[in-house]
Amino acid sequence: MPVIHIVIAAVGAVLIAATSVGFLLSRRKMEGGALTGRQRKRKKLWLIGLLISVWGTVGALITIFSGKKGRLAIEFEMFSPRVPVFGITLAKTTLIGCGVLVFLAVLLLLFRFTAVPRFSEEDPGGLQNAMEAAVDAVDRFVENTTSEMTVKGLSPYMISVALYIMGCAFSEMLGLRTPTSDLTFTLCLGLCTLALINIYGFKKGGVGGRIKNMGGPVPAMRVIMVPLKAVTDLAVPISLACRLFGNMLGGMLVMDLFKGVLGGYGAGLPAVAGIYFNLLHPMLQIYIFVSLSLTYIQEAME
Amino acid sequence: MNFIAAAIIMGCTVFGVGFGICFATTKAVDAASRQPEGAGKIQTLLLLGCALAESIGLYGFIVSLLLVNQ
Repeated sequence: MPVIHIVIAAVGAVLIAATSVGFLLSRRKMEGGALTGRQRKRKKLWLIGLLISVWGTVGALITIFSGKKGRLAIEFEMFSPRVPVFGITLAKTTLIGCGVLVFLAVLLLLFRFTAVPRFSEEDPGGLQNAMEAAVDAVDRFVENTTSEMTVKGLSPYMISVALYIMGCAFSEMLGLRTPTSDLTFTLCLGLCTLALINIYGFKKGGVGGRIKNMGGPVPAMRVIMVPLKAVTDLAVPISLACRLFGNMLGGMLVMDLFKGVLGGYGAGLPAVAGIYFNLLHPMLQIYIFVSLSLTYIQEAME
Repeated sequence: MNFIAAAIIMGCTVFGVGFGICFATTKAVDAASRQPEGAGKIQTLLLLGCALAESIGLYGFIVSLLLVNQ
């Protein structure tokens, strides 16, 4: 079996030499003037060949020296393993979540005490302008989705939830398990949304207004409608939690597949796939989580 | 037996969710080409709708994972 890998490594090394010479030659023509379309295409082809041969050689070398073999099975646990901490057992994801929280808190406190005192109203610098634009954008988003009354309370909460989930997604790049791939974590965020729905619902119109909002316009129907609506509201945190959990767990499983199935030939591929699965996908999920929470709160305040 | 059940669950949910997202995207493209000035708002609504449809598929995914992992 290892003979194949040695052959691949040897052929790859020869191909690297050939394609790099070809790539350099195709680049040298460029200095005479602008490249024609055909020349540019040829240059791109040489580059692609170089990349593929480097990948094959590195993969074969890793397979030869580490003896890592691809397998078509991934091991994962639906719920994170538990570790004892000071006499109580905690899930690993809880600890990672606390770590992310501490890291973010230290980072933001440093930012607060080093960068913020230098901000001035007369002469705003680049960083200050960027921060003000970001805060304005979040404020406008919250105001457009709900109403003016909630901006002061909700926009700091939403931006901190977004930062927290983003920090958790970054922790996956360090080889840890994301806290968002734990159902308890996402359920906590969903319960926070449920609390906010009720707080803002009661704040808007008092107890009477909330019952009117939940029960509909006909007073006699309210006896049936209010319990029904209460059950519907209870489904909100479960739906939010399962959505975030499923998406993050799916991303984690795909990344595990990339790492496990290809064995040594997976070298470098997780870095490329991680751009989507660790960066863009969590951002999309954060956007969806925040806008759905705001939509539910708006619905309770109508 | 669990594997067969998980496969059936995933197949059915993915079928439904694929159709749902397909319908939503069709209508969104229709609406955006009719009124290009409202494209931004339509995109937001489309993302929300797709997320809602997708979550149904994720329920199936979680259930099938639970079945496989027993």
